[in-house]
Amino acid sequence: MQKDTAIKVQNLVKNFGKGENLVKVIENASFEIKKGELVALIAPSGAGKTTLLMMIGCVQEPTSGEIWLGEEKVYDNKWTAKDTRAIRREKIGFIFQAHYLIPFLNIMENITLLPQTNKVSEKAAKQKATELLEYLDIADKAYAMPSQLSGGQNQRVAIARALANNPQIILADEPTAALDAQRSISVIQMLKKIALEQNVAIITVTHDERILPYFDKIMKIENRSIVFHELEGEKIV
Amino acid sequence: MIDLAKRDIEHTLGKFIVTAMGVGMLLGIVLIMIGVYRGMMVDAEILLDDISADLWIVQENTLGPFAESSRVHEDLKNIIYVVAGIDKSEAMTFQNIQLPRPEKPVRVVAVGYDIYGAINPINPKRLVAGRELKNDHYEIVVTDKTGFKLDEKIKLGRNFYTVVGITHSTVSNGGDPLVYISLKDAQDLQFSYSNKEIQNNVARGVQNAETFMVNVIVARVKSGYNVDEVASDIRKWQHKSVYTAEQQKEILTKNVVEKSAKQIGLFTTILVIVSTIIIALIIYTMTLEKMKEISIMKLMGLPNSLIISMIVKETLLLGVFAFIFGNIFSHLVYDKFPKRIVLEIPDAWGLFGVIIIASILASFVGVKKVISADPASAIGG
Repeated sequence: MQKDTAIKVQNLVKNFGKGENLVKVIENASFEIKKGELVALIAPSGAGKTTLLMMIGCVQEPTSGEIWLGEEKVYDNKWTAKDTRAIRREKIGFIFQAHYLIPFLNIMENITLLPQTNKVSEKAAKQKATELLEYLDIADKAYAMPSQLSGGQNQRVAIARALANNPQIILADEPTAALDAQRSISVIQMLKKIALEQNVAIITVTHDERILPYFDKIMKIENRSIVFHELEGEKIV
Repeated sequence: MIDLAKRDIEHTLGKFIVTAMGVGMLLGIVLIMIGVYRGMMVDAEILLDDISADLWIVQENTLGPFAESSRVHEDLKNIIYVVAGIDKSEAMTFQNIQLPRPEKPVRVVAVGYDIYGAINPINPKRLVAGRELKNDHYEIVVTDKTGFKLDEKIKLGRNFYTVVGITHSTVSNGGDPLVYISLKDAQDLQFSYSNKEIQNNVARGVQNAETFMVNVIVARVKSGYNVDEVASDIRKWQHKSVYTAEQQKEILTKNVVEKSAKQIGLFTTILVIVSTIIIALIIYTMTLEKMKEISIMKLMGLPNSLIISMIVKETLLLGVFAFIFGNIFSHLVYDKFPKRIVLEIPDAWGLFGVIIIASILASFVGVKKVISADPASAIGG
């Protein structure tokens, strides 16, 4: 296991149902993603993108295989830790299609909730949140409610929230689905910058081919296996 | 740490307050129901306390005069003086009558007493206008709830009675207003028949009723004498039923008020259960509305305990706010009820305890929903 590896998956299998109703979703998937990489996960609907994301995110249990997050093996034919929620809390950031901010918390509280749960002091959590908001250019909205922000601003807050617990990995589920082309590119550029500067591995599920040139790798689910695609044309750095 | 319950309530404060007010009105009705019971207990004892007799001598084998009808001879009040220990005694009547009013007759309990006697049932502290009875006939003291004014004339039987005094807060054990008339008038009203009735009775060979009957002889015992022993002596000697003040109170509360109390208790229990179910449904709905956020919080890794504490705190706060609104509501409306409502602080605290327990129970439905929330549902839209 190399030190710069953020995610390593080996012989991962995921089946649903049994006997005649058995549905194979992922078969013997093996891949490795390094820290600082921005990876696109593409596949037709129903091919298992979300299932793969949930398995890496320690939400859904694989049928078999191995998963490492950083240097920690979190799955070895069974979860190695009793509390997979703690792994998510400490190692993973999530970004969703919609921002899904908690509507009754202001922006600062949305960002500091998770770090405070991780026993980070309120002061330190707020300091980190302020830095993130400045980094994402929405520091002036720190004490606004989500309902007072535009969709793009809220999505940036959601990114700040995903970064607040200093994760090793960010799993993004179609974060640009609700945005126009220009904003989609802007969000992906932001994620790329975060991946590089924060040394975080980011896997982004997407259907939007216009943003693919911005990714370091394109991971595709084909016939229940993971394959890496080279981009046709030039990659945008 | 961020207080999620507080933030959620602040976010939907108006809705939360209106919901708490709704539940609060239910709890207010619970408090009023308890107040009705307390009021009945107070009403049951007003007349007993005002008469302040040690002994109640009634017809043998009856629980009279309030629980069963009783007739004893008026002269018994003199005869029992021969029993050692009797200090004062007096004859009294109690009867339900209707006082005519233009809009609607008023149902009252008339207390008949000897205005020159040793025991007066009118408590001077309750007399708010006019005076006590001074003449043997055609005077009446009414309670303010009857609506009659001083010097007003009221037709009872064949005669007109003048209102000479007005009392406040005097009601019978059944909650009907009390009026006071002289014993002679009361005996006439209770035991006299009309001329036609008398003629008819004579024709049938029936003896007409004696008008020197009363419903009860009340007596006070000299200091130094044991009330129970004096009562026992009268029972043996005169073949009457005799009750001490304590026994009379027990008859009133056990035999007269108990069934009503049970009924009120059952209503109160049902209302508390209904309130609990309503709180549970509200919390369930509030939790359902937050399921997406709950799934996201679980997906992000927030522990169940944090989310559950939010639900439990919100339920408890709903219960507490509802209790406060319930108290305000009950205090605003209790005096609008025709019968006495007594709101007591210990009852309110008792209900508070019940509501806290009910809220905790009600929060279980929300907690169950939180535990079953699937974090995976946050992904994939």
